[in-house]
Amino acid sequence: MSEAVNTETINTALGALERALDRRLIAALEVCARCGICADSCHVYASDPKPAHVPAARAEQVRAVYRRHHDPLGRLFPWLVGAKDLTEVDLDALTETAFASCTLCRRCTINCPFGVDTALIMRAARSMLTAAGKAPEMLVMLADAAIARGENADEFREIYREIVAGLERDAQERLGDPTLRIPLDQEGADILYVGLSGAHTILPAAIIFHEAKASWTLSMFEASNYGLFLGDPTKAKAIARRIVDEALRLGVKEVVLTECGHAYTALRWEAPNWFGGEFPFKIRSIVEVLADYVREGRLDLDPSANTEPVTYHDSCNLARNGGLVDAPRIVLRAAVQNFVEMNPHGKENFCCGGGGGLVAVPEWFETRMRAGRRKAEQIRAAAAPVVATSCENCNLQLTDLNGYYDLGVKVMGLMELVVNALLAAKQRQALPLEEAA
Amino acid sequence: MTTSWAAILLGALALSVWGLGGHLRKTLARPWRPEQARQAGSPGRGVVYAFTWGMAPWAKESTRVHLLAYLRGIVFHVGIAAGFIGLALTLWSPSIPSAVRWIIACGAFVGALAGWGGLIARLMEHNLRAVSTPDDLLSVALVSAFLSAAAAAWWQPHWNAVHLALGAATLVAIPLTKIRHCFYFFFSRYFFGLFYGRRGVIGGVQHE
Repeated sequence: MSEAVNTETINTALGALERALDRRLIAALEVCARCGICADSCHVYASDPKPAHVPAARAEQVRAVYRRHHDPLGRLFPWLVGAKDLTEVDLDALTETAFASCTLCRRCTINCPFGVDTALIMRAARSMLTAAGKAPEMLVMLADAAIARGENADEFREIYREIVAGLERDAQERLGDPTLRIPLDQEGADILYVGLSGAHTILPAAIIFHEAKASWTLSMFEASNYGLFLGDPTKAKAIARRIVDEALRLGVKEVVLTECGHAYTALRWEAPNWFGGEFPFKIRSIVEVLADYVREGRLDLDPSANTEPVTYHDSCNLARNGGLVDAPRIVLRAAVQNFVEMNPHGKENFCCGGGGGLVAVPEWFETRMRAGRRKAEQIRAAAAPVVATSCENCNLQLTDLNGYYDLGVKVMGLMELVVNALLAAKQRQALPLEEAA
Repeated sequence: MTTSWAAILLGALALSVWGLGGHLRKTLARPWRPEQARQAGSPGRGVVYAFTWGMAPWAKESTRVHLLAYLRGIVFHVGIAAGFIGLALTLWSPSIPSAVRWIIACGAFVGALAGWGGLIARLMEHNLRAVSTPDDLLSVALVSAFLSAAAAAWWQPHWNAVHLALGAATLVAIPLTKIRHCFYFFFSRYFFGLFYGRRGVIGGVQHE
């Protein structure tokens, strides 16, 4: 009986691998020459340099199975090409590798002479594991909860409306402007803003949109998409569908996502693949919108509100995999007095170690703290007391690293810094002319 | 070169082409799932970048840090090109100018040195040893032996039989072993350029 269960689990995993095998994945599996040059590019290897942490070694766990089924020598002489039959023990090892040891940051990809997309291989591995019931329970639970919320949106609507009314009062108080509104279900608004669970992603956005005189409405749903972490396109699509349907229903011109790296990847880059084409609205990160507001002079910012040196941690999803390198810097240069770059930064920035869903799984705290050692060193070297970032997962990880490595920094979101600068500018305006000068 | 060697070489080439054709068929039989999202940069410029400046040693941190390993790889592959050009020219060897003979011999020689160096590194360095399969070791050894024989044969013709035999073996091994990465290289870099070009990460295109 147990053997039958094992066989079924393994066949399910193999079936998921077969479905994932497209031309890109075949190329990624076939091309690696195992030169090992990717090793230092991985933050996990850089923090804990052992062979198992070399990206090529991680991908070998999937390649070995692929070769057993798709390589003539792998079928005849598996030992010769490192091919092997998949076992349940392999699946357990792969769970640790694909979910806990790789954050899908693609730093190895841009550093590989062949451009091997190890993240694509790890996502295929996550698909196999999710299909076989080996994915971390917490991620599955969070994905299912998000889908359930979408299916029962009407039940939450009134409660949410009350919560938002409370947030609106808080925002009015903070800005000192009773005309500030947090619109919900506003048909015909230009922007549908999608936050995360928690006021910290809604309050600053409300202040910024109000000050920029933007036409906006708040989404009923949160931007995060745990289906993406699971490598489960069905769940990922169901989670994304909530926002897509809402945007279509309200007839907005664009969906603006809060400071969240993986949400940006999910909705901006992946969702059109799940839905089979482009949407009739644009999808942007709040970071891009802020950069536009700064360029267009729609926000009056006083950088003296943020006097301490600020460094910026690029989220892998936004920068390396989304191209948003200049936008946050445009915002920071306008909102803070002293911006210092981390080295390396931009598309070469090191992952903080919290991506790929690691932050959501409590039992991986130690794993992600160890993996974040390289990032902690980078922060120390930057010698800036404030670390800004535009990703919720990065923010949580950096905050934990701050305590774990005793970095003595303050981790802040980009929107927080902008709101500080906005409020300072408003205070300056309120002062008598000579005092403001 | 005798007719029988020519037949062996052409047979090996035919097997190689047939095997790579099989890989092409296998790859093209799989779905092509292009990104559907609105592009932020230029996929075309990304692909051009991926095959040009993106291959430069300064374009990647990994090659900046491991410049020697990168150069060893480049020299090895230049040597392989020289070895195969030499193998093709063997059919006309009596009429080849001595300068060309020396260029090929030298190219194959330094390529062989880089190949054997790479093999030693693969055996000595713990990460490389850990990720290597027997195929990795045998493939590098085979190609390095072919280049060594090519260098010797272009210098002293009595090595020619060894050169031709190893050349034929290498040709046959291409689609069967890890040497086929030379074929998938073009796919992988193309997809890399497309992916990052579209997203406005590479190719010098401003993000929208």
